Amino acid sequence: MFEKILIANRGEIAVRIIRACKELNIRTVAVYSEADANSMHVQLADEAICIGRPAASESYLRIDRIISAAEIADVDAIHPGYGFLSENAHFADVCESCNIRFIGPSSRAMNALSDKAVSRNLAKKAGVPCPPGSEGIVENETEAQAVAKKIGYPIMIKAVAGGGGRGMRVAHNDISLVKGFHTAKSEAEKCFGNAGVYVEKLIENPHHIEFQILADQKGHVIHLLERDCSVQRRNQKVVEESPSPMLEGKLKRLRDKMGKAAVRIAEAAHYVGAGTVEFIVDNEGNFYFLEVNKRIQVEHPVTEEVTGIDLVRYQIMIAMGEPLRHSQGDIEAKGHAIECRINAEDPFDDFRPSPGRIDMYYQPGGRGVRVDTHAYGGYVVPPHYDSMIGKLITFGRDRREAMDKMSRALGEYMITGIKSNIGFQQAILQDPNFRRGVYSTAFVEQLLSGARRELLEEKS
Amino acid sequence: MDLKDIKAIIDLMRKNAVSEFELEKQDFKIRLKRTGSSGVIREFDEPLVGTYAPTAGGAASLAAALPSSVSAPAPANESEIKSPMIGTFYLSPSPESAAYVDIGTEVNPETVVCIIEAMKVMNEIKAEARGVVTAILVDNAKPVEFGQPLFKIRPL
Repeated sequence: MFEKILIANRGEIAVRIIRACKELNIRTVAVYSEADANSMHVQLADEAICIGRPAASESYLRIDRIISAAEIADVDAIHPGYGFLSENAHFADVCESCNIRFIGPSSRAMNALSDKAVSRNLAKKAGVPCPPGSEGIVENETEAQAVAKKIGYPIMIKAVAGGGGRGMRVAHNDISLVKGFHTAKSEAEKCFGNAGVYVEKLIENPHHIEFQILADQKGHVIHLLERDCSVQRRNQKVVEESPSPMLEGKLKRLRDKMGKAAVRIAEAAHYVGAGTVEFIVDNEGNFYFLEVNKRIQVEHPVTEEVTGIDLVRYQIMIAMGEPLRHSQGDIEAKGHAIECRINAEDPFDDFRPSPGRIDMYYQPGGRGVRVDTHAYGGYVVPPHYDSMIGKLITFGRDRREAMDKMSRALGEYMITGIKSNIGFQQAILQDPNFRRGVYSTAFVEQLLSGARRELLEEKS
Repeated sequence: MDLKDIKAIIDLMRKNAVSEFELEKQDFKIRLKRTGSSGVIREFDEPLVGTYAPTAGGAASLAAALPSSVSAPAPANESEIKSPMIGTFYLSPSPESAAYVDIGTEVNPETVVCIIEAMKVMNEIKAEARGVVTAILVDNAKPVEFGQPLFKIRPL
C-alpha cells in the first residue's frame, strides 16, 4: 500500500492524479517550477516542493531534482502523468534503483516499444498487421524502389529512431523516392543520431483509432475499447470520442479484432500498467498498427465515462501489485462520450498560444458534463508549457445526446482575459460531417479552408 | 507568555489548519499568520512569520530568543542566498564540527556557507556574493526546496 505519491507533472493531469490519490487515502506531493507557484495542483497537494526555474528543462525534466524531492518527502511512488518523463526509460530505472516505484511500464517494455523497427516486429510476431513496408532498415534507394514497387505508391521513408512527425518523407513515384531517400537519411542522422530508415505504405487520410489497455503485474491484459481521435490539427488531437462512429455496421466486427490485436501486442511487450495501442484505419476497414503510447493519455476520460472505470486509480492499484478486477467480458460500452480540448490559443491567428491572466472563468456543468482542468479565475496561464488549460467531456445515452450536450456546454463556457479555442470547437461540433460521424484525419484541414472559415467566424 | 507557549500555539495552528491567530492582553499583543497559499499546509514553504508588538520592557530579550526561523521584515540593502537545489540543509560539515557561518560572519563568493545533502551526496553551497551574514533562515537538518532563502546577507 502506497502512503505517499509524488506527482512528477503539472496542470490538469497533476490535478487528476491528486484526486485519484485522495480517493485512495494516499498523501500527495506536488513538484512545481517557479512559474507554477500558484498552480492548482500545488494548492491541492498535501505537500509541494519547488524544483526549479520555469523552463521544463530546468524543472519538470530534471530527474535529479525530482528524485531529490521524492527523497526528502519520503514518497513510495512517483506518477509521471503524460509527456515530460512519463516515457523516459532512464527515469523509470532511476526511480526503481532508488526504491521508489515508478507508476508505469518497466524500462525494458518502454525500450522495446520505442524503437519503430523493434515494435513493428513485435506487432508482426503478435500477428498484428503493420502498414505494408520493408523488412527492417533499407540501405539504399534501389532497395527502397523495390519495396515501393511491391507495396505500391504513395510510400513514406521513415526514420527508425524517429518521432513527432520528423524524419519522414513522402514519395509518390520513383523520382521523388530517389530525391527524398537521401534527405530523409541525413535528417534522421541530424535529428536522432541514427541514419537508419525504413519504407512504409502511406495510407492517405486515415482514421486514427486507438485502444486503451490495462495490464497487471501478473500478466493479465484487457482492453477497454476504442477512442476515435481522427479530429486533429497538425497531428495534435482536438476532439476525441468513444465509441468510434466508424466502427458501425459492416465495420463493427473490427472492434473485437482490433481490441484483441491490442492485447496481443501488450502481452508480447510484457507491458504493465495503462497504455494505448494506436492504429490507423483506411476507408476499406483495413487496420494497421502504428505505435504504443506507454502512459496515461490526455483523452483517458472518454474511456472512463463510457466504461465506468477509473483508469488513474487502476494505474496506482496495478503499481501496488493489485491484480485486475475486471476480465475482458466485464468491459462494456454504455452510452457515448466526447472530449474537446480547451486550449489557450487564438484560432484566428493560426492558433498562436495565448498565455496571460484569466479574468472571468465559468466552466459548464450539469448532467453528463465533466471538466478536467487546473484553470480558475485569476490564474495566470504561463507561456512556458503547452497551451491546453482543460478538457471538456460530455456523456450521453447515445452519440446524438453527447454531441448536443457538448454544444450546450461549449456555449456555457466563459473565459475572458485570454483567447481560447472554444469557438473553434463549437464549429467542429456543428459541422455536418462531424455530426454524421463521417470524418478522417483530413477533417480539420477541410474545416479550416475556404468557405468553411465563415462558419468558424460566425460561431465565435 | 513565553517562547514555549508561542511554539505551542504555532503547532496547534499547523495541526488545525488555522492561518491566523491574534491575542491581546493587558501588557502585550501577539499576532501570528501562516504564509503560503490559503488553507493548504505546505511543509517546505517559507517559515512562519510572526509580528510581535510588545511593550517597552520585554521586546529586546524576547526578540533575541525567538527561533531563527522567525524573521523581521528585511531592510532594503539586504539580499538572500537561495537554495540552488532540493535536499536537506546542514549548517556544519559534520555533527561534531562548528557551523560554516554564523550571524556576523563575513563571506566572499567562494565561501562555503552550508551543505545541502541529496541522494547521499553532500553538496557544498557557496555564498556567491560578498557580504556579512545577518540571518540564518533554515534550521539545521531541515528539508529545503529550489529557490528557498537560506541566509540573509548585507552586501559589502
